[in-house]
Amino acid sequence: MGIIHGEEMVLNIGPQHPSTHGVLRLKVRTDGEVVSDIYPVIGYLHRCFEKHCENVTYEQVIPYTDRCDYVASMNNNLGYAITVEELMGIEVPEKVEYIRIIMAEFNRIASHLLALGTYGLDVGAFTPFLYMFRDRERILDMFELICGARLLYNYIWVGGVSHDLPKGFVETAYGFLDYFEPQVKEYNNLLTYNKIFIERTADVGVMPPDVAISYGVTGPNLRGSGVKWDIRKDEPYSIYNKFDFEVPVGKGELGTVGDCWDRYWVRMREIEESVKILRQALKALPKGGDVHQAIPKKIRPPKGSIYKRTESPRGDLAYYITSDGTPKPYRLKMRSPAFTSISVLNEISRGWMLSDVIAILGSLDIVLGEIDR
Amino acid sequence: MTVDALYHWLNETFPFLSGNEILIVLAILIPSVALFMVIAVNALVLVYAERKVSAFMQDRVGPMGQGVGLHAGKWGLLQTVADALKLISKEDIIPRLADRKLFIMAPFVIFVGAFIAVIALPFGETIIIADMNIGIFYILAVSSFGVIGLILAGWSSNNKWSLYGGMRSAAQIISYEIPAGLSLITVIMLTETLSMQGIIQYQSGGLFSWIVFSSPFSFIAFIVYFIAAIAETNRTPFDIPEAESELVGGFHTEYSGMRWSFFFLSEYANMLVVCGVAVTGFLGGWQSPIPGYFNTAGWSIFWFISKILFLVFVMMWVRWTFPRLRVDQLMDICWKYLLPIALFNIFGVGIWTLIFG
Amino acid sequence: MKQYFLNIWETIISLSTGFGITWVHMLNIKKGNVTLQYPEEKWPRPERNIGFNHDDYNVIRSRLTVDMDDCIGCLKCMRACPVDCISIETVKAETRGEDIKDIGHVGITSSGSKKAMVVTRFDIDMTECCYCNLCTYPCPEDCIFMTGGPNADRHPIDYEFSEYDRTDLIYRFAKKGSKEKMEAQMFPKKEKAEA
Repeated sequence: MGIIHGEEMVLNIGPQHPSTHGVLRLKVRTDGEVVSDIYPVIGYLHRCFEKHCENVTYEQVIPYTDRCDYVASMNNNLGYAITVEELMGIEVPEKVEYIRIIMAEFNRIASHLLALGTYGLDVGAFTPFLYMFRDRERILDMFELICGARLLYNYIWVGGVSHDLPKGFVETAYGFLDYFEPQVKEYNNLLTYNKIFIERTADVGVMPPDVAISYGVTGPNLRGSGVKWDIRKDEPYSIYNKFDFEVPVGKGELGTVGDCWDRYWVRMREIEESVKILRQALKALPKGGDVHQAIPKKIRPPKGSIYKRTESPRGDLAYYITSDGTPKPYRLKMRSPAFTSISVLNEISRGWMLSDVIAILGSLDIVLGEIDR
Repeated sequence: MTVDALYHWLNETFPFLSGNEILIVLAILIPSVALFMVIAVNALVLVYAERKVSAFMQDRVGPMGQGVGLHAGKWGLLQTVADALKLISKEDIIPRLADRKLFIMAPFVIFVGAFIAVIALPFGETIIIADMNIGIFYILAVSSFGVIGLILAGWSSNNKWSLYGGMRSAAQIISYEIPAGLSLITVIMLTETLSMQGIIQYQSGGLFSWIVFSSPFSFIAFIVYFIAAIAETNRTPFDIPEAESELVGGFHTEYSGMRWSFFFLSEYANMLVVCGVAVTGFLGGWQSPIPGYFNTAGWSIFWFISKILFLVFVMMWVRWTFPRLRVDQLMDICWKYLLPIALFNIFGVGIWTLIFG
Repeated sequence: MKQYFLNIWETIISLSTGFGITWVHMLNIKKGNVTLQYPEEKWPRPERNIGFNHDDYNVIRSRLTVDMDDCIGCLKCMRACPVDCISIETVKAETRGEDIKDIGHVGITSSGSKKAMVVTRFDIDMTECCYCNLCTYPCPEDCIFMTGGPNADRHPIDYEFSEYDRTDLIYRFAKKGSKEKMEAQMFPKKEKAEA
């Protein structure tokens, strides 16, 4: 017996909807519960980031990068700082590199916790969400200790970081890691291996590797499809080549390679890998050293342009900066990973049910601040 | 305390009105008001309990306050009262394009469905409003009355989300009636009666004469009934008609204020009903677990309510632990798992009674 | 058929694991509770006076404050602000480094530098402020800062500054009457003519 086709209906999800992760609007063409076409409408959060950057100096761009991917501000700062440093040819002290890696990895954990927690919320599990937010809060407390801000840090500057680590930070960080590692096991028991959760996510929204590559999807979404591509490993920036960590890829343990569960699981494993990196970085953190030593008095890069990519929690975050020798960038382009992730939504969620579309959208882990910029 | 008994008592107390129709009206009205109070208080208590249980499971404390007038009273006890006041005083919005009559009617239809089912719940040996000889059958019949209200609400709101919610809930509740009914058949087979009081009388004699412990099959029947009951009350993991992350609010998306609170009231009243049936059918109703002790009228109310509250707690526990199912998986569970198990159970209980009974 | 019973078994196992976790959390609520009753209890603020070099930086992200007695009107903070929420107007003082009594202008800052400018307008629009802290670093006199931190003795930290009116969030730091007075000094003829 084939599927009986009824009259199609256009359903408007968002921009105000509990699970669009911001102000995304989806025009969904449905046949009963089955979705036949999705058209994402973006731009509700557009703030002219790129154009705005042309009118502010290089230092002043950093608070704006905070607000692109607002759940992983440190990674955005880091990507921008590295790009400008390479354009200017600045060598930063080793201590700064370590501090930056520690911040970036902590923020990766925080960002993944948010992604996984809200994903649980999307499929209806409320409790894991609050457990993960509880632990994310501790990371934010640590950031507050370091730079005074909890969400938008403006911490990693061109040539350095804004403040040195406070005394006792290393102990606090170790304390957090010791507390946090058993929690991952609890999340797994509560959500990851829950049969209902597996039913909802395994085999759903399968993104084959070739589709992922042809759409330019990066980060955990790409790795969930089984492609081992991580810029930290394959094109190491900063001092990532000094650390020993795995690149988790989706293997389709409970379904097909590239399903929602794989993407979820890659994020969960990445949290563990980040913990590994953090332990190594905290151990090797140099004691002395001035974090402001390499900060240039005036940021005035030479004429030229540069494209530099880094691995943000959402994938391949790249900045393209053209300088004309003035203190303001001539052109700044940001390649946002979430933007490419949302573009694949239509391809992978066609033919699934309405509830699955929500689950697939959640598994792509988009941040609208970054999509719209 | 049936309506008839009340009517006789009124006749005797007010002899000058004897035979007057007013007494019939009174005899019906008094228990109805009492019942309404029970449902309202039930909702107040359960909403508070739900908030607290969910909070404790999520490492929170839920509604709190330092005393009356500060936030929500000591331990937030006044939170639900404040909520109720807020809901009553809220603006009542009826969408312009909604089907006005049906839109207004729907919450009350749902509420009536829950309300008339409570009538047959036995709170004690004599504390029952209508002791029908087909009590359990009656409850099964009228508890599916509410689904009409859900469809009405979903349709009349003129909102696609509501429509989805209404359709989903209709499919869900009607499907889950079947395993629920089939697992209650095992109870009826054992007790050979449809009367609620009769079923409870059969289970007199302490904890181990309760039907849930009488055979392994009846234990499975209890589990099946309980799962079906959760589905019938639209609670997680079967809350797909409401599913706030998918359907915003499902059938009650467009409702606000008092009308919306009626949905809430009837959801909790429905929980009371399904748990009441489970307690009556499987957990010995108002009987005390220790035979011969604590079996006065007061204690019987206590036992009945505490058993219900225990089951309600389990429902909350389920809700705050698990994710939500998809609509087709929901049907899978019903037709592929619960239904065969329930059918097999009937067979099993029959064999068990033949051998051990 | 085997898969069928395996499914049931897996479901029972995984669901009971979940039950166990939430049950344990519920029993240990006294220990595990993370909620603070906000107005009565407050989040412990991280210890600020450890490790930071307070002479140079302060790491609080709270309300911006200016010590007008120290401000020399160099406009560096205004230029550093990425959202242009600081607006400053200055007038050249008649004599460098001298107090002007009637508008409360202090001629010499606490670090000893003589002021050449009288600041007639120093407005910070806190509704626009993005708390990036960029304005506090270039200040040569350390007179613009976020409350708390190294200046906690003068300006205790204050995160709670909601107002009923939005205009109350525009902080005007310039000394009262300085604008009128300085204008009167600058254009004395005009005033006379009008009079």
